[in-house]
Amino acid sequence: MLQGVLVYGLVNSAVLVLLALGFGLTFGVAGISNFAHGSLYILAGYLAWACAHVLRLPSALGAAVAVAGSAAFGALLYRVALLRVRGQALSEVMVTFGVSLVILELFRFLGLVGFGYTLPAFVEGTVQIGETSLDVQRLLIVLLAAGLVGLLWLFTHHTRMGLAFRGIAQNEDTALSLGIDADRAATWSVAFGSGLAAVAALAVLPLGTIAPEGGYDVMLQALAVSIVGGLGSTVGIVLASVLIGFAQTLTATYLETHWMILVSLIAILVVLVVKPSGLLGRQKQLEERI
Amino acid sequence: MRSGMRLVAAAFLALAGIPQGTARAADPIVLGMPTSLGFLEGKEGLNGVTLAVEEINARGGVKVGKEKRLLKLEAIDTRCAEPGVPVSDVLLGHEKLILEKGAKFIVFGSFRSEAAIAAMDTVAKYKVPMVLGIAMAPTVQTKVKEDPARYKYTFRSCLNAQGLVKYLAGTMDFLKAQFGFDKVFVMHQDVAWARGTANGVVKSYFEPKGWKVTGVEAYPTGSSDFSSGLLKARAAGAQVILPVFDMPQSGILVKQWKSTKVPALLAGFISPLAGPGAWKTFEGKIDGAINVIFEVGNIASAKVPASAVFAAAYEKRWGAPLESGHAPAPGYESVHVLAEAIERAGTIEPDAVVAALEKTDRMGAMGRIRFAEDHQVPYGVDPAQEAVGAVIQWRAGKRVVVYPPALADAKIELPEGLKAAK
Amino acid sequence: MVASRRKERIDRGVKARSDDLYALASWREMLYVAGPRLAPAALALALPLVLPPYWQKVLLSVCAYGLLAMSWGFLQAAGLISLGQALFFGVGAYLAGAAAHFWKWGPALTIPLGALGGAAVCTLILLPVLRLRGHYFAMVTLVLPLMLVRLIEATRILGGTEGITGIPSLPSGLGEPYLAVVVTLAVLFALRRLLASDHGLVLQAMRDNDRAVMRAGHNLYALKAQALFLAGLAGCFSGAFMTHAYMFVGMPAFALDYSIMPIAAGVVGGPGTVAGPALGALILVPLSEALRALGSLRIVFYGLFLVVFAVALPEGIFPFLVRKYQQRERWIEVDR
Repeated sequence: MLQGVLVYGLVNSAVLVLLALGFGLTFGVAGISNFAHGSLYILAGYLAWACAHVLRLPSALGAAVAVAGSAAFGALLYRVALLRVRGQALSEVMVTFGVSLVILELFRFLGLVGFGYTLPAFVEGTVQIGETSLDVQRLLIVLLAAGLVGLLWLFTHHTRMGLAFRGIAQNEDTALSLGIDADRAATWSVAFGSGLAAVAALAVLPLGTIAPEGGYDVMLQALAVSIVGGLGSTVGIVLASVLIGFAQTLTATYLETHWMILVSLIAILVVLVVKPSGLLGRQKQLEERI
Repeated sequence: MRSGMRLVAAAFLALAGIPQGTARAADPIVLGMPTSLGFLEGKEGLNGVTLAVEEINARGGVKVGKEKRLLKLEAIDTRCAEPGVPVSDVLLGHEKLILEKGAKFIVFGSFRSEAAIAAMDTVAKYKVPMVLGIAMAPTVQTKVKEDPARYKYTFRSCLNAQGLVKYLAGTMDFLKAQFGFDKVFVMHQDVAWARGTANGVVKSYFEPKGWKVTGVEAYPTGSSDFSSGLLKARAAGAQVILPVFDMPQSGILVKQWKSTKVPALLAGFISPLAGPGAWKTFEGKIDGAINVIFEVGNIASAKVPASAVFAAAYEKRWGAPLESGHAPAPGYESVHVLAEAIERAGTIEPDAVVAALEKTDRMGAMGRIRFAEDHQVPYGVDPAQEAVGAVIQWRAGKRVVVYPPALADAKIELPEGLKAAK
Repeated sequence: MVASRRKERIDRGVKARSDDLYALASWREMLYVAGPRLAPAALALALPLVLPPYWQKVLLSVCAYGLLAMSWGFLQAAGLISLGQALFFGVGAYLAGAAAHFWKWGPALTIPLGALGGAAVCTLILLPVLRLRGHYFAMVTLVLPLMLVRLIEATRILGGTEGITGIPSLPSGLGEPYLAVVVTLAVLFALRRLLASDHGLVLQAMRDNDRAVMRAGHNLYALKAQALFLAGLAGCFSGAFMTHAYMFVGMPAFALDYSIMPIAAGVVGGPGTVAGPALGALILVPLSEALRALGSLRIVFYGLFLVVFAVALPEGIFPFLVRKYQQRERWIEVDR
């Protein structure tokens, strides 16, 4: 039983990392809380589903289409709408949240709900870890999460664009004076964040179904992880995912399933009250409270 | 879009003071159907209700006193199945039907029990008889019994949680007698009817009959991870898992049940498992799973002739068989029951129709339909005496009825990999 | 030399003279100032008499959402961004519902209790986070209603998932709509007056530069608590009122709709004002009723409204109208 809790706690943490990574990246670079993150996750899910069931494309191609489509949508969202309200926190939230409502409720209106709407697992089958059976998909999720975090680290520390991202994040004015195009970097960061949402969808959705409600849930989980870990900190995201992931699995096992969501919500509240910038956030004290 | 524009036009007319909805003598009788049309049960429920209305209109309508009046169905999407929608918004939908569309009767009603219960006050206020066809919480009857003068306008034709408890207990009894199973793990959605059902089975059956209940887990609506519960069931050595869920995500439980290889039989209610399409959706991974079909009619049974007639008529009219295990048949019958009551009362005056509804006795798609004192159609095991539900087992792509004995086509068989305990 | 034209906008004389001090010279000027204030009020008071029964119910909804939206606008004017107006609605609704159910109080007592008590409870809940700024405060308000609803679900208090039914209704007839309309107008009037007063200027200064307000010797903490209490009063009344109007209170009292709709109304009507969000609610709620036949497609429209207004008309309809009302526009030739 304890072994099962450890294994599934780890899987749950990896799922949270996947869900939050894109949101964290966008916020870290462009300073935009992309409230459309959850809806992009669902959008990618339906895209992949449509590729497989309507266009009958092979699943690898479908996955590529979903990731590219989601990233393109993100870039478009930035260029068309976000660029015009850049820096006004409330308007940014309104625009992204409005887009999220449009996407999710449109899918709900189209009636794409039900058990037929699901994505195939990468690899079928189960593995036995001690006394716990684990399906291969869950194992792959853990590997994928670890791989993506590693790639993201390499990207931000060893590529030109990644370094530009970090430059913008640290000090936009100085970055501008060094010839980094802030708007271009921000566009890319929103596109990357949206692409990561699509990757998360492709990996996580096969465990369940594609449902519009899921978008709100994903958004909440991503928000919880990012706030607890510290907005814009990748290490913080991993740390917070592990904390919340295990806390959820433990409460679900030893307490009651109800408390599972409460755990994330309470974690957000406590962190916001005690240390608003999160466990590893680097905001200055004066910007967060007075 | 056009109906939206019509509404705006109606609004302007109404604002200009032109009276709306004042019925003339030969106008059709309006039935209101406020429900969640985006959900499978709502969609198919609407199909069932529409079918009944068309049948009645095809034979000239309902005889009210001396004249024949047609029925007219006004459906409205209240989004009542989604927990994020305010109940006041759902009730406003009811009021729109009653006040603006001139609905004299409400059929089918809200998904969520709390919305249906709150609607009881609304229909009492406007004196509009309502025949519920989907919400299952027993509270509805408690309220009718407590204050019959106020809540007498509410009836229910579908199965309620107490009836479901009976079917589940009967199935479990079979499992115990046949295979010697006596360790069960209960998983249910945390909504009124499912909680009532789960606790009901535990209290009234498992505990007195010497079963060992190894755990009861409640899941908030929308949960999509059941691994911890399945781990617990496995650790406790449960032989039977009893699920009670009506959300689309609950199908995930079946997937996880297969992938975690818990050696226990899945026997209970998971809404996506009820329809004939489930075999294909789950790629055949549901062999041996046992599921309750809440009302016969949603599945055709040779032992209840009217159910086969309904199922055939449904498929003919809508071009596809019924997928939901709950609601379309009672929705269909609600209309027929109402029409008969109106004809017996000879008027559409609400109190007279309520009195006539109370005397209903009809052999319908669900068996024999009558209303008990608490305005609930009693469900039992003999279609000649009461309405019935059915318990099915998935076997090689087919749904085989295994309970109640009066309807059963075969006995329960254990799927591959599971062993009897005796 | 190329002759070209530009649009010249000149404030009307009476506006220039009477921006806050009303030294009016003629009936015409008085009407000019009072008209836009009195006419909507008179119209609102006449509505319950002329509307057909169903649209009277919609009017109740307009008032309920209007109160929440004004409360949102007022908070925003004071620099507090709220993403969870459902908190006020839910607390007021539950308080009134519980008092009616467990203590058998009548609506004459439960509604004031719901409004005052609810505002006090909400202020107390938010007191520990009042020092948070901008984003962070907004996130807290977003999370709180979601958490409270889960808490009720998990602990099964106050009726749990089924909620409390059978709450006494308000006296039927014209009492119900008039209570809603009069309170809405009173809140509109009171909050507008407050914001226009010196004290209101201090409140608005918190939005513009909170540190300057502190430096001027004001107790920022107390001011924010005050703003929260006043906003809570309007929001909680809305909840308490709807509880009695629909004889039910339950988990949906914390529904996301009660958070989204006021924000949408505020963004459409004019954020940072009080009349703007009210106007927004007056537009959006009936529109959403008219679009009811479209099912969940109407939520798509809210979303579109949010995006379009936030990008294209960020000031909102109300400030736009005010500007147009008080300016004379004409094309003039300019030399270049």
